[in-house]
Parts: sequence; C-alpha cells; structure tokens
Amino acid sequence: MSRNLFLSITKFVQHLEHLFLPNGSPPPALALAGFHQQINDVGSTQNFNLKQLLGNGVLWAVPKHRRTVEKRLNRKFGYPEYVWKPLKVKTHLRTCNQCGHDYEVGVLCPHCYDKVRQETQLMQDKIQEHLGLEPVEQEVIVLYDGEKTAEASDALKGKRIVEMQKQRPMWFTKNLLQKSTQQQSETKEVKPTDLG
Amino acid sequence: MNQADVSKLISQLRIAVRPKARNLKNKDGPEGRLLKLRKTVTALVKHERIELYYNRADEARGYAELLISNAIRHGDRHKATMELADYWLLEKQLVHKLFKVLVPRYENFNVSYTRMYKAPRDYPGMYYKKSVLELRGNPYPALTPDLSQNRNLLHNVLLDEARKEFKREQLAELANKLAAESGTKSTTTTSVTSDMPKEQKTENETPTTV
Ligand SMILES: [Zn+2]
Repeated sequence: MSRNLFLSITKFVQHLEHLFLPNGSPPPALALAGFHQQINDVGSTQNFNLKQLLGNGVLWAVPKHRRTVEKRLNRKFGYPEYVWKPLKVKTHLRTCNQCGHDYEVGVLCPHCYDKVRQETQLMQDKIQEHLGLEPVEQEVIVLYDGEKTAEASDALKGKRIVEMQKQRPMWFTKNLLQKSTQQQSETKEVKPTDLG
Repeated sequence: MNQADVSKLISQLRIAVRPKARNLKNKDGPEGRLLKLRKTVTALVKHERIELYYNRADEARGYAELLISNAIRHGDRHKATMELADYWLLEKQLVHKLFKVLVPRYENFNVSYTRMYKAPRDYPGMYYKKSVLELRGNPYPALTPDLSQNRNLLHNVLLDEARKEFKREQLAELANKLAAESGTKSTTTTSVTSDMPKEQKTENETPTTV
C-alpha cells in the first residue's frame, strides 16, 4: 500500500517536471551491464531500431515488485489449514495387540488381515470346487484334518461339509477352551492378556 | 391405512445409508453402474466375503441388505420379492441360497446382515480406499480379534473357577474309587461305594466358554 502510494507520488512529480521543464531535466538513460560497447554504438549511430533492442533481450518481463516475506514463506511451506507442504507427523498409527505390526486406526491390521485373507481364499476355492449349476440349498461347514470324526453328527445334519486337506491353523481355533489343570496361584498379580 | 402401516411398507435397514446414491462413474452410464452393483451383490451372496473398493462396497451393501431383508419379510411366495432376487442375483442358483440358507440364518437377527471393514492399502500405493464386505455367520476366520476370550472378563473368570472345581471333584472321586478298589482287595466290597461316583458324574456337565 505504502509502496504504491510512493510510486504514484514519484510518478506525479515526474509528470509535473515534464510539464514545467520540458527540456530542463536530462532524459533518463538506459544503464546496461554487459552491452557497453554495443549500446554506445547504438547511441552514437542514428539507426536505432526496436527489433535490435528486443532481440538482445533487454525489455523482457521481470518482477516489478519484491514479494513480501509472508508470501514467500506461504509459497514455500503451504498453509497449515489447507495444504501443508513439509512432512507431517502421523498420529493415527497403532501397534496390533495380536501380531505387533503397525496399523492405521479404523483399518484392519495388514499382517493379521493377510493371514486371514489367504486362509479365506483357500476355503473359498475349496467351497466353490463342487459348486456347479445346482441350486445352493445348504449351509457350508468347513472341517480340517481329523475333525470329521470328532464332530457330533446332528450338528452336521443338513449341511454341506467341505473338508480342507490340511491341519487347522493354530490361530483359527473353533473353541478356545482353556487349560483347567493348573495350580492355583498365590500372587495377586494379573498377567496381561492380548499380548503376542 | 394409518401412519404406522405406511412405515412398514419398506424394509428398515440396520445400516447407515447415504441420503444420495453414489454415481460410480461408468462408461455405460446408469445401466453400467447397476450391472456392476448386481455383480457385486451376486459375488457377495456367493462367496460371503469379498474385497473391493470402498465406494462400490458401500453402495452394494445397501442393496444386499434390502434384498435379504425383503426375502425375510415376504418369503419366496411373494412375486415382487422373487423379481427383486431375480434381478439382483445374476447366478440363478443363488436365488435358492437366498431363500433356503440366508433367510433361516438371519431370521432372528437384531443386527445388520452384512459387515464392512476398511482393508489396508499398500503405502503409498493407490489412493482409493479398499474394504472387505462380508455376510455375517460365514464359515471363514474372523477379521477382528475375538475380545470375548479375554480371561479377565467376569464370566470367563467364573467359568474358569467352575471348571477347576469340577476337575477337583472328579479327581476326588477318582481317588475315592482307587481307595475303594484297593480296599476291596483286602476286605469285602460294598455295592454302595462303587455306585456313588457314577451318579455324581451324570449330574455334572462340562462347562464351556461363552
Ligand atoms: Zn496384527
């Protein structure tokens, strides 16, 4: 604002000078670095033309005003509330209680999900194997090695049994019955759960 | 028809539905969008757990919920429901699955029939969010950890104690029996002592975890 005011005042003064002293003040001279000899030649000889001047790149567009420090910093770092250019600290990462890998809050843990996904894929392939064009009318029960004999027969009635030709994975247990034949502890300390 | 009946004309879904449907940009326009959604619903009913981009999963979820809800409410004798199932399920053997497997499974449910999770993405990878859409009660391993197995929960503590007591009783019985048997070798047996453990055994059933 103040700069514009200063410039307009300067311009006004120059205008006044031109009005009252048309030949009084000396005309402003072009001061150019690097073209000393050439400019002198141009000044001395009368065949001055615009094309030559432009061809030498004298009147190319350049910034008129210096950018303020606020503008420069904003251009450099961005705006914290809109777009922040430097690196940011991620505060939505947690450690999985099951496997110890890092995951984003609200998103499934990549390591645990990968494990589940692979097993699910195997099961789906097995289930789809014998699924033709016949109508699907039964619930599916997936049994692993050595489970068919152990399962009660009425629980399997009216259901399609799909057998996986492998052992049931350790982490995919059906009934998490705990050991009960352990000594009663005397201490009052509670062991933490959900670790590892 | 009063106001209460009007509200029962359509199924009330147990999931949050966006007020406006997603456009799901498709080169064939709205028909292409619907075809994509039909494929998604069919795959969901067929595989029971699918992984796909978040927007399409969220959009298809509402239609799948509506389909199952209508099937439960009206049954397979309802013409409009049958047409709905015929439209949404591209593989016609799955129409049988809808009415014969899914309806009995979800009849007494108080919660939504599907679940949706945000799936992890590669970093930095693609920008688009991924998700896992699944039917409840599927045979696959659970995606979230089972927190009900925490042994510090009250019911698990109580069950643990009950189980320990049961075992202790059994051991005591066994000891009694052994003592009785060793006693028979030296002296004459009494029929009362040998019959006692059998009766106790039938009374106790093994407690299981909740
Ligand atoms: Zn994990």
